[in-house]
This record gives sequence, structure tokens and C-alpha cells, in this order.
Amino acid sequence: VKLREIACSRSGDKGDVSNICVFVYDPVNWSVIQQHLTAEVVRQQFGDLVCGDVVRYEMESVHGLNFVLTEALGGGVSMSLRGDPHGKSYQSLILDIDLPVNVDQSAVVGDN
Amino acid sequence: MPSSAVTIGCGSAYANDRLEPAVALAKSGRVQYLAFDCLAERTLALAQLRRRLDDDAGQDERLPRIVSELAPFVASGLRVVGNFGAANPSAAANDVVNGLRRAGVAGVRVGVIHGDDVAALVRKLNSRLPELGCSVDDLRERFVSAHAYIGAGPIVALLDEGASFVLGGRIADPSLFVGPICHEIGWDLDDWDRVGTATLAGHLLECGTHGTGGNFADPPYRTVDGLDDIGLPFAIVSQEGALELTKLEGTGGRVDGLTTKTQLAYEIHDPAAYRTPDVVADFSHITVDEMGTNRVAVSGAAGRPRPETLKVLVGIDLGWKALGEISFGGPGCVSRARLGEALVRRRLEPLETDIEDIRYDLVGMTSLFGDRFSSEHPAEVRLRVAARCSTREVAAAVAYEVEYLYFGPAGAGGATQSVVPAIGVTPAFVPVDDVRLDWEIHRS
Repeated sequence: VKLREIACSRSGDKGDVSNICVFVYDPVNWSVIQQHLTAEVVRQQFGDLVCGDVVRYEMESVHGLNFVLTEALGGGVSMSLRGDPHGKSYQSLILDIDLPVNVDQSAVVGDN
Repeated sequence: MPSSAVTIGCGSAYANDRLEPAVALAKSGRVQYLAFDCLAERTLALAQLRRRLDDDAGQDERLPRIVSELAPFVASGLRVVGNFGAANPSAAANDVVNGLRRAGVAGVRVGVIHGDDVAALVRKLNSRLPELGCSVDDLRERFVSAHAYIGAGPIVALLDEGASFVLGGRIADPSLFVGPICHEIGWDLDDWDRVGTATLAGHLLECGTHGTGGNFADPPYRTVDGLDDIGLPFAIVSQEGALELTKLEGTGGRVDGLTTKTQLAYEIHDPAAYRTPDVVADFSHITVDEMGTNRVAVSGAAGRPRPETLKVLVGIDLGWKALGEISFGGPGCVSRARLGEALVRRRLEPLETDIEDIRYDLVGMTSLFGDRFSSEHPAEVRLRVAARCSTREVAAAVAYEVEYLYFGPAGAGGATQSVVPAIGVTPAFVPVDDVRLDWEIHRS
């Protein structure tokens, strides 16, 4: 399943560090992202956009994960020449990750 | 006598935020306090440059309008806190006092906080710049400014002295809210779990409409009604520590579990250690409960003693930034854009010693994620060339070469260019005891 089917995300910046949080729409899918959305999977997705580490923090009480990517914004918002120096669009790149699982169809496609 | 609860809203999330939703919140009478965050990472260094040209400049440029719109509500009891001072808190205080007088509001106490400008201190300490791998001295004449993120202490002191308008420079975003909350309900600034709760409220409010459905819609997965008229968030915090987040009835947007959670984790790193000048807050055991339409209760924040260092942002003169763009469309557009790129690279070769950094992107293809999503047959692409140069002339030459692709590959159109001063910021840390803050009160 594509992460976008079961979760939402938001990315922000501090200096050259990007953080991207991911929250599942339905708590039933918490174990899916906890098990499969690893720091390594995120690193693969971002490839050479990230020069430093990818660290994952669990926020179990709100069914979310927070990924912290260092050296990930081309030197930082104010230094970078990138078109999106804040990495605001990173939240969309992470949602394109394909997780190797099938999930209950009643728990996909958003909360609306 | 402390109140049993406090109501506080967000008035602004950055230096260019729209004012109408803040005025609506003031007018509603639903909030006792409005807090305005006016600064992003680079805003202060840019403000410092304005101040170098003009002693009376460097504060938030919206201030005269903000004061004029809010004056009637301040006269009837609304209290306003903000980092409007940016690089010039004294000039900001003058704007507020004069604005209130012009609006016929006399006798209001205006508190101003000084001391976040730590340029002299970081030079004396030759502070380390970890992201650059060097120290302040190594910046030489490129050093522009240094401002420390300061906490809620002076805000509480000024509110205790009856100030209705409190402003300063680089007051940390959540501290703008922690100050009024702790003042109003009598929380001690050394009661770490309470300050953790106040910081949670501040963190959920400080980004303005990011907490009410902004930066959220992704149809059909996530939809937000009324984005055009989105309302700012406000919170009710009780002395017992209950925190409710909501927005005005009749405004657009949404406040629910998901919008609150995405804001909870926005721009934090370790959720168990969110460091501010006031506290090391622990958001790792938060729960969010939907209480009704656009109403959530958030609980579970904790805190540990505040850090012994303050974060500082050091502003650096990086020369000039050039940006040039031009579009190509239809069959073969990618090949023609790449030909244009090759042409610009060739023509810039003689200038390369003055070009410190340059990048070429195809917008519509590779500019955001490199080749992660590339397709060889987009309907159109836009060649984007961005460079940092040591002189304005060389930056202008870079931008010009992109425009001159009108006479390069076939069908290049819609060239735009800009050349602006390049100001960077990088973090440093200083001992909190070395930063001397002071404050004073003026009267309108």
C-alpha cells in the first residue's frame, strides 16, 4: 500500500535539518507504519537529497512517527539555492513510499 | 489574584501574515491575549540590514497598521505580545506608543524587552558555528548579526507591571504564549510540567493557521472547507492544566485530531526533548481528544529544567543571489531546456571564480526531488538557474544569460530574473547567564 492511502504528513525545517512527521488516519494501521516505515526505508526514498542521518522517533500515543533528516536542505533555508529551500514538499515525497503490506480497505483513503 | 483560566490566540505566524483573521479574533472578545510571532530564521538578519541604512528601521513593518487596527480592543482590555521589535525593539516601541496616541488611546503601558542582540557577546566568545564547522572570527567582514532566542521571563515581568502591549526582538515563538499563560493563571516559570503545558499550547498556536487546516489539504484524502477565510487558532488553558484548542465560529478551516497532531510534530526533533529558552518540554506522551466541532483537548505534556545555553542565529553576508528562469513547452521541451542549460554553463565559464555556488533545475521535472519522480515527457519545463556570487555584477550576468536564451534554443519564453543580497543564518549557542536582558515601560 502507498503510505498516502493510510497516513498524512507534514515537513518543516530548522537550519539544514528537515523533520517529517507521519500520522495514520486509522489507529488500526499504526503497527503497519511502526513495523515497515523504518528510517532506512525513508533514507532510500530520499536518496541523495539527504547527506546526513535519518533518525526516527515514535509518538505512539498519537500514532505517529517523526523523522529527522540532517544535512537535508542543501545547507539550510537561508544558504540553499534549491527551489524549495524549506523542504515543505518533502511531506509529499514521503507519502509516495510503497509499504510491502496489504491493509484493510476500510482503513484507507483518508478520514473524509 | 491569578485567574482560573486564560484565553489566548495567535495573531501572526510570520512577518508577512495577513492581519484580518487577527482582527476578527480581537473583535470577537473571545481572547484575553493575542500573541504575534513575526520572525522566521532569516527575518532578523534582513531587518538588521534595514537598520544599518536607517536608525529608525529594522522593526516589523506592519506595526503601524497592527496598532491602528487593534487600538480600540487594547483600550477595552485586550493585551498584545509580539516579537515585533525584530532588529530594533526601541523603534517598535515608538511605533506602538505613537500609534496608540494617534488612535486616541492614552495611558496604555507598553513594555519593551532588550538584550537579545548578542553580536558583541558571540564575537567576544568567538562562538562555534557547528553547521559551518568554523567560529565567528572566521566569518570576518561577512558577520552581519547575532540574536539569541529569549524566553518568557521578561514578558511575565512586564505583564505583572500592567503592560498591555509587550514587545521585543528574538523572543522564542512558544515563549510569546508561555509568558501570558503563566502570568494570567499564576504558573511559576520553574514549575517544569506547567511550563511544558504552556509550551505545548504555544507550539500548537505559534504557526497560526497551520493549526487550523493550513498546509493540510490534500484532496481527496484530506479536504478543508473555507480555506479562503481560514481562522486563526486560540486556546483555553485552565489552572489545573487542561488545554483546549479551537477557532472562531464562522471562520474556515478545521481543528481536529489530525490537524492538531500534524502541528504537534511540526519542526520538532526528539518529541521527548523539545528545547526552548523556558523548558525542555516532553511531548512524547501527548493525547489528543476531539471534544466537538473544531474543538480538541490536548493533554500529557511534561517538562524538565530549561537548557543552560540559549540558541543564537548568526546572520552572514553571502554576497548576491541570482535567479533566472525561462520556459520550454511541447515536444522536445526537455532536450531544448538541457541545450539552454549547456549554453548558459558555457557562457558563464569566464566568471566561475566569482560564482560561489550555482545550480540548474528543470522545474516540472527535477527541481524538488531530483530524479526521484522524473518523466522524460512532461508537457512543459522551466529552466531555473540559481547562483550565489561574490559581486552584484556577476549575479546580474548569471541572471542575464538565462534571459538571453530567447536567442538560444527554439521556443524559450517567459524569462524572469532577480538579483538580491544573499543573507544566510547559522546556529550557535551561548551560556544563558552571559545574556543580559532588561526591559522598560512606556506610556501612550
